[in-house]
Amino acid sequence: MQGKPSKLGRLSIQLGLGIFGFWTLAPIAWLVVSSLMQQQALTATPPDFSPSAFTFQNYVEVMNSAAALGRGLANSLIVAVSTTAVALAVGAPAAYALARFQLPGSGPILLMILATQMFPGIVVAIPMFIVMSHLGLIDSRLGLVIVYLSFNLPIVIWILHGFFLAIPVGLERAAAVDGATTLQIFRLIVLPISWPPIFATAIFAFIESWNEFFFALILTRQNAQTVPLVISQFAGQYQTVFGQMMAAATMAVTPVVVIAIIFRQSIMKGFTEGMIKS
Amino acid sequence: MAGITLQQRRRRFGVGALLPAVVIILAILAYPMAASLWLSLHHVELAGGAVAESFIGLANYAALLDDDSFRLAVSNSAYFSVCEVALVVGLGLGVALLLNHPLGRSGFFRVLLIIPWAIAPVANAVLWKWILNSNYGILNAILTELGLIDNYVTWLGTPGRALNMLLLVDVWKSIPFIALLLLAGLQKIPSMLYRAAWLDGANTWQQFRFITLPSLRTTLAIAIILQTLWSFKLFDLVYVLTRGGPADGTVLLNYLAYRETFNFLHIGSGAAVANVVFFISLILAIAYIRMLRPGGRKVPA
Repeated sequence: MQGKPSKLGRLSIQLGLGIFGFWTLAPIAWLVVSSLMQQQALTATPPDFSPSAFTFQNYVEVMNSAAALGRGLANSLIVAVSTTAVALAVGAPAAYALARFQLPGSGPILLMILATQMFPGIVVAIPMFIVMSHLGLIDSRLGLVIVYLSFNLPIVIWILHGFFLAIPVGLERAAAVDGATTLQIFRLIVLPISWPPIFATAIFAFIESWNEFFFALILTRQNAQTVPLVISQFAGQYQTVFGQMMAAATMAVTPVVVIAIIFRQSIMKGFTEGMIKS
Repeated sequence: MAGITLQQRRRRFGVGALLPAVVIILAILAYPMAASLWLSLHHVELAGGAVAESFIGLANYAALLDDDSFRLAVSNSAYFSVCEVALVVGLGLGVALLLNHPLGRSGFFRVLLIIPWAIAPVANAVLWKWILNSNYGILNAILTELGLIDNYVTWLGTPGRALNMLLLVDVWKSIPFIALLLLAGLQKIPSMLYRAAWLDGANTWQQFRFITLPSLRTTLAIAIILQTLWSFKLFDLVYVLTRGGPADGTVLLNYLAYRETFNFLHIGSGAAVANVVFFISLILAIAYIRMLRPGGRKVPA
């Protein structure tokens, strides 16, 4: 917005930014700080912030006591990577087809994809649970990967569809005139220049799978538990060991938060614009 | 390639490329949705691992109308969604305006926006359970130090207060994304418009009222619909912070469907609640899609 730069205006904007910064950062800061504090320091009234109150002991204890956390991290990694890979392998060609070829029914298919992506998990959870029980896929990583496709595949198709639409069609026309097959065009021309959006979409799908809780809760028991489940159980069992609880939570969120910060530009662009553009 | 045209070849490729995705989506989304609808019309009994169903029409839905926990969940959800959407979109717009101002364009604030979004909802819930802890929580400590409260408050101790705390936590988590969405909308407004208005002597409020708001109308509508949809998705926070308590004060529809099905094993009535959530979401999703349609949106200026 333009206007005469008044001192009062500048001050109120800086104040607003300060409040916003504090409001957003304070809980996260407390997560990290309290994960580094001793139990007695945390339970003192008011909390004891002297240098001697700080320790790495919580992290050591969590690693030693919760074997489940290591298994959870491994499960989350395997499930998130597999889901993302399958969603991209199936979703990218589908998104290209929807963007480029005037296929009969592609309009309704797109709308269906967009709509399904918005429903709460409970809408499909009950039959999903019954089917998975019949197939013996309860408490298996394969079962989770299949179920996670139900929200990742639609979002991958929707975001990539927008990107493919934005690529000028001229290059592909030229290649077709030179006799390239459609598959060659997709593989040798479209895919190479679409690497950045595909990567951004992959990051997004990875984060969504890593953080998912609801399906993990109803479909896993022990072997296939992912990190969010381990954290919630840990918080139930050790809810009075505050520092360790926060250490476990910090360890669970750090990989994803770091990834999100590094790739924030592509995530923001891909996702926010994908949501307001048709 | 004699006999078929380039167009036909491309179509064949297109169908082949699309087919696997359509098959998967039908299998893991369309089928469960249909099955859920079907289950809700049956009395379902789990006996020794086997499922026994008998058709009872709309009886599961009719029973909901007389069910106190369902009524409570409806009013909780309505309160929660209305407050959340108003707060998130209102505050999100404020944040977006701040960040669109030259003073707010530093990369630091962009990093700040992405963090709450990336934090796993469960970890977020565990963190806030600690912040809101009635004996040792930092919120009580700070408010006491500032002299704002005399005695430590049990934040999750009464139904109304617990629901408002859930609201606070979810608003905290949701603002960044909506702010990003609105920021993307703000940046599409041509700066020419502001220059012209400034030359005409419009003050900051008038610029906001007559340029920003009208240009942002579609984006705002999208933000409102999406946030409403997402408020119906809330589960992790309820599960970790309150499990629906105290006295069912934080049971939202989504959580009620989970509890009916997976805790009480009332599969038919759980499916009925799930379908109520489904129809609400469906109406909102249709509204969202209409907003995206080129015919339904106003081009800025």
